[in-house]
Amino acid sequence: MPSTPVMDRWIRRTVERHLPWNVHLDLTYRCNERCIHCYLDHEDYGEMTTLEIECVLRQLAEAGTLFLTLSGGEIFLRQDLFELIAYARRLLFDVSVKTNALLVDAEKARRLQELGVRGVQISIYSADPEVHDSITKVRGSLARSLAAIRLLQGQGLHVKIACPLMTHNLAAYRGVQALAEELRIPYILDLTITPKMDGDTSILSLRNPSQDLLPILQDPIFNPKSCDRDDVFQPSLATGATGSSSASGLESHAYDDIPCSAGHNSCYISPYGDVFPCVQMPVATGNVRRERFEEIWYHSNEMNRVRGVRESQLPVCSSCTIRSHCERCPGLAQMEGGDLLGAYERACELAELKARIAGVEDPVSALHVKNGRDAVSCKVPPLNVLPQASA
Amino acid sequence: MIESPARNPSLAWREVDGEIVIISPEDSQVHELNETASLIWKYADGIRSCDEIAAELAAEFDVALEAARADAAELIEALEEKRLLLVAAPVAG
Repeated sequence: MPSTPVMDRWIRRTVERHLPWNVHLDLTYRCNERCIHCYLDHEDYGEMTTLEIECVLRQLAEAGTLFLTLSGGEIFLRQDLFELIAYARRLLFDVSVKTNALLVDAEKARRLQELGVRGVQISIYSADPEVHDSITKVRGSLARSLAAIRLLQGQGLHVKIACPLMTHNLAAYRGVQALAEELRIPYILDLTITPKMDGDTSILSLRNPSQDLLPILQDPIFNPKSCDRDDVFQPSLATGATGSSSASGLESHAYDDIPCSAGHNSCYISPYGDVFPCVQMPVATGNVRRERFEEIWYHSNEMNRVRGVRESQLPVCSSCTIRSHCERCPGLAQMEGGDLLGAYERACELAELKARIAGVEDPVSALHVKNGRDAVSCKVPPLNVLPQASA
Repeated sequence: MIESPARNPSLAWREVDGEIVIISPEDSQVHELNETASLIWKYADGIRSCDEIAAELAAEFDVALEAARADAAELIEALEEKRLLLVAAPVAG
């Protein structure tokens, strides 16, 4: 959602009231792609049934949730998907979905439109089929996803491309930009690669070294002040917290002294009913199969602990001189550094790069000052001599 | 002016502290209703007529029926223009 004064006011209100305004519900972890960077375990260990999910949806509606994102895994592997969307719409949720769209045909596109789904986000890794398909491990997947995008657009649905960037597709980002321009749809580049849910960090090797991200961080297209574009098509760049206000598409100063929306006005529910402050924050707060959602949301000790964190009280980051350039994610801080309140290397490196690009002389994060390390060393060329990555 | 206004069923909405916020899936527009419009929204069930809604407003805010009628007509028309309220055939009887 573009930031508007009205939306900002409602975000502020829901943050102050701790209303679960924005809920991300994964319907399944099963998937028909095998993306090399995926953090999920695709086995089915007992997903919630249709009735259980409908019960959760009723509880969310009662608790005040408006924005409902249905994701996975691949949501179209749920045979009851349309039944659940229809149920959610009857409960007056604003419904968006995330999918690889491999199973979307004309009929499914039509049904999504009829049911009043507001947005469909589809992962595209490259405009080059070889690159995209090598990441999804499904031959022909790019062609199928692109065909689905056109079907969905044909129904008038709002489609958005999400492009997680890793070592395999860093050079492809300009191709994805061009593709989005051609299709006239917005896109988000996501630089976040997270450890697997079981703690396995092997996929972090797919992360691009921070310095390699310079061409993207410097790209004027991600700076709305420097490019005159229609808001709807303004691309965005996620470098940290996917649960943050900006990365989730909700931008508000209501988040000024809190790390992100997680636990304040948003949360995540897994296919097994586990409730977390955010999909990226492995802090278990309860399970809707055993407790009512509102009991977890308002009374879980863990949820309240997350809710109590203030940026100004972070032991290291609160004194950081380049804090305004940082998109520290508390979930990643927990996953990578073991401390919800802590600083972590990746965020500090990116903040130093962004500060340098913004003209800060020799920026060094508080973590690196503490550890006596130099800032990430690189030469930042002026903005008008951007390296040209090939598509 | 519509006879029995009804909420557009394609919209997503919630009430917080007596005020209504509405999202339109078609254009992602966010609409925020003030206290009076929120009350009209809640009564716009496709059954109550505009006069009946005005009567509810008059009772709620303790104002004269004529004044409530004028306010209701203006607000209903504005909500109809934004396609938040739709025409519904008046229910007989």
